[in-house]
Amino acid sequence: MTKDKRLAKRHRSEKIFKFYGLLSIFISLLFVLVLVNNIFSKGTSAFTKTVIETEVFYNQDLLDLEYGASKDEILDADFFDVTIESLLLIYPTNGLDEEKQLINLFSTDVEIEIKSKFLNNNDFIGKKVIIELTASDDIDQLHKGNYPRDLPEDRRRISDFQLKIFDKLVENGNIKKTFNNYFFTKGDSRDPELAGIGGALVGSFYSILICLLLSFPIAVLASIYLEEFAPKNRITDFIEININNLAAVPSIVYGLLALQILLSTIHLPRSTPLVAGITLALMTLPRIIIPCRASLKAVPPSIREGALAVGASKFQSVFHHVVPLALPGTLSGTIIGLAQALGETAPLILIGMVAFVVDIPSSPIDPSASLPVQVYLWSESAERGFVEKTSATIMILLSFLIVMNFLAVYLRQKFEKRWN
Amino acid sequence: MKEIKIKSINLNVFYGEKQALFDVNLSLNEKEVTALIGPSGCGKSTFIRCINRMNDVIDICKVTGTIEMDGFDINDKNLDVVSLRERVGMVFQKPNPFPKSIYDNISYGPKIHGKGESKSELDFIVEKSLRKAALWEEVKDRLDEPGTSLSGGQQQRLCIARAISVNPEVILMDEPCSALDPIATAKIEELIDELKETFTIVIVTHSMAQAVRVSQKTGFFHLGKLIEVGKTDKIFKNPDNKMTQDYITGRFG
Amino acid sequence: MSNEHTVKSYEDELQHLKDSIIEMGSLTEAQLNDSMDAIIKVDKDSIDKIIKSDEKINKFRSKIDTQIMTLLVKRAPMAIDLRETISALKISQDLERIGDLSKSNAKKVKPLPLDLPEELLGNLKRLGDLVTKQLNDVLDSYVNKNFDQAKEVWKKDEQVDDLTFIAMNSVINFLSKDKKNLDFSTHLIFATKNLERAGDHITNIAEIICFLIKGEYLKGHRPKGKETDL
Repeated sequence: MTKDKRLAKRHRSEKIFKFYGLLSIFISLLFVLVLVNNIFSKGTSAFTKTVIETEVFYNQDLLDLEYGASKDEILDADFFDVTIESLLLIYPTNGLDEEKQLINLFSTDVEIEIKSKFLNNNDFIGKKVIIELTASDDIDQLHKGNYPRDLPEDRRRISDFQLKIFDKLVENGNIKKTFNNYFFTKGDSRDPELAGIGGALVGSFYSILICLLLSFPIAVLASIYLEEFAPKNRITDFIEININNLAAVPSIVYGLLALQILLSTIHLPRSTPLVAGITLALMTLPRIIIPCRASLKAVPPSIREGALAVGASKFQSVFHHVVPLALPGTLSGTIIGLAQALGETAPLILIGMVAFVVDIPSSPIDPSASLPVQVYLWSESAERGFVEKTSATIMILLSFLIVMNFLAVYLRQKFEKRWN
Repeated sequence: MKEIKIKSINLNVFYGEKQALFDVNLSLNEKEVTALIGPSGCGKSTFIRCINRMNDVIDICKVTGTIEMDGFDINDKNLDVVSLRERVGMVFQKPNPFPKSIYDNISYGPKIHGKGESKSELDFIVEKSLRKAALWEEVKDRLDEPGTSLSGGQQQRLCIARAISVNPEVILMDEPCSALDPIATAKIEELIDELKETFTIVIVTHSMAQAVRVSQKTGFFHLGKLIEVGKTDKIFKNPDNKMTQDYITGRFG
Repeated sequence: MSNEHTVKSYEDELQHLKDSIIEMGSLTEAQLNDSMDAIIKVDKDSIDKIIKSDEKINKFRSKIDTQIMTLLVKRAPMAIDLRETISALKISQDLERIGDLSKSNAKKVKPLPLDLPEELLGNLKRLGDLVTKQLNDVLDSYVNKNFDQAKEVWKKDEQVDDLTFIAMNSVINFLSKDKKNLDFSTHLIFATKNLERAGDHITNIAEIICFLIKGEYLKGHRPKGKETDL
């Protein structure tokens, strides 16, 4: 082959290689787009809920309350009659069945909503106030266009009568969509319109916090010891191999470990962020140790020698000079490890975070769910309303992960700039 | 007549099975510059690293023999190396300033040895060290900038300032100019001329011309043995040993 | 380890320098010989030839100067190489002066009569032979790096002084005998003096060679023979 032909062949190989690279990037971007589109199209609607503007009359005859009543008195009072009276005024009904259907247009919490509105404005007594009441899940889905209307009645979840009321309300402009604050403030619920990730958010937060507080110091100190102080012999080699292997252990095994030791033997409270945090910490330890050790190894020996030559002790040279330089890599590794821990589902299911928890936990020893487990639970439910909520939770999870990864990159760059 | 500051007696150094120095008997006079020359791997760097016990960090390194300084033996196992290194400073071949600010680079040593308690004391030490290293005028307005933002020659002068900040008695220099351009090299040589009024200096160098220029006494090493030692003038104009002459004239090496 | 420089061109440059000195020395030796012959035989035809060959010696001086500059700037020579280089510089200077003195002597042959007394010529010849032999010996000692030989030459300067004294006396006697002889006698006086000075330069070369070999200067004063008043 002549020189020119060889050159042309080399250039061609370059071009083909570049093409393959671009092609693979393109395909992967395509996959990402499809995924994002899928999730977003299903999930964005969860951030809004349907409300029905209703005039509520806080009838003093039906309520056993005086003007200026205390909070406790209001909480004790029965708002059922007020609720029924106000709701039935929306549309003329004929018989108990139709009344029931009318009431069912609203969420099951409608009485509580009316009560809590009063709780904040107790001068409403005897007044008529227009309140936005949350619609039921069926109305919510209907309004969002997820229910087909052209099916025969017995195959629909909404009766013809309810449809008539719905259309009338739409005509009058009483049905609206507002921001779904329940999604963030409320815990899990059987009713999709009232279900939220509030509990799972707090549960995940406590779990990750405990995971961080446990795993970070132990991992960093272990890395420093193994890398800088431990003698290089067979025992330390053995430890290093085992740590590397631990990072590859399936996370469900950690769940089993937690189940056996933390729950059965030590009898820590089940389904709590405390247990979840400890389990995740065990899992995250090797994932922090490995990048931390790599960062420590990467610090050039000239830095250590420079410190020793000026009269620093081994301890001082490690902690004043080597560790700060290893910090960017360690932090990156930590944040990525935490991001992985945030998305762990299998071990948390084993320790019981799959329970149905309605209340938002107020401390790490209250039972709770976590975000990925919540996704799992909702994806199992039959109601149509949970579909959008599942996707919305995935969106929240993904955005956390993206933020954490950006934070890792930012911190790394900031520290590297400072040290260089 | 200069007094002897450091004297090695029958110094032998082993790296595992391999012997790097054979019965080295060499004395260094105080407030004088001694140059150590010789081909690569002849043991000159090993020798100076014995003086501040830097060879301790190498696990397989074993040192036998005595190194006397001011009446005590540097090789004594019970010696506190941290306080030894306060008295014997070192400047390395490649400038290695700490990745901290210029101020922190200089103040680190005094701080850990308890030499500067208040900020004003440390300020004084930092200025004094930088002045003595002929760097103060160039950096006095940017003491907060990282040490690594300086040029190569300035970084090496920073390392010299760092070494003298703890007020040592001896400064060891391992090929301090090999990574620098001629002008930076000249500045360092000028600095060494001034520093020898205060400190005892040992310099390892590959440049014959530099050894002649800066030192008063020269030792020639070859394959771990000290072949010849004497006044620099004599060694380079009329050495006694043929091997020395062959080395400095480029007839082997 | 070999005894040659690792960089071959350095080795070659030093060798060329030494060769140049040896060549220049040979030329100077021939010049001195020829000028002595011319005086003794009162050979007026060879004067031009001798004057011309002095140009060659001067050219050598320039060539050696250039070689030395190059060596100094390129190689920063140490120890023995440094002494070789500096010695070559000084020896070439002395050789050039000896060449000039020989040329000057050759010019003095012109006005000489053909009937100079035997005794006078004999004394001059003895002096000339000694100086010529000194130059020969000192150049030998340079080639062979023979310290003892160089030191001998250095010591023998005393003899040169003695023979100069004798030759000078012969000339003065001849001068005082007949005023007619005044003209060429002064030339003879200068020629004799030139020979003595050539001897001094040769002694210089011997001192330089001793320093080159040993690395230290000869101790003690130069042995001095009888001093003439001129």
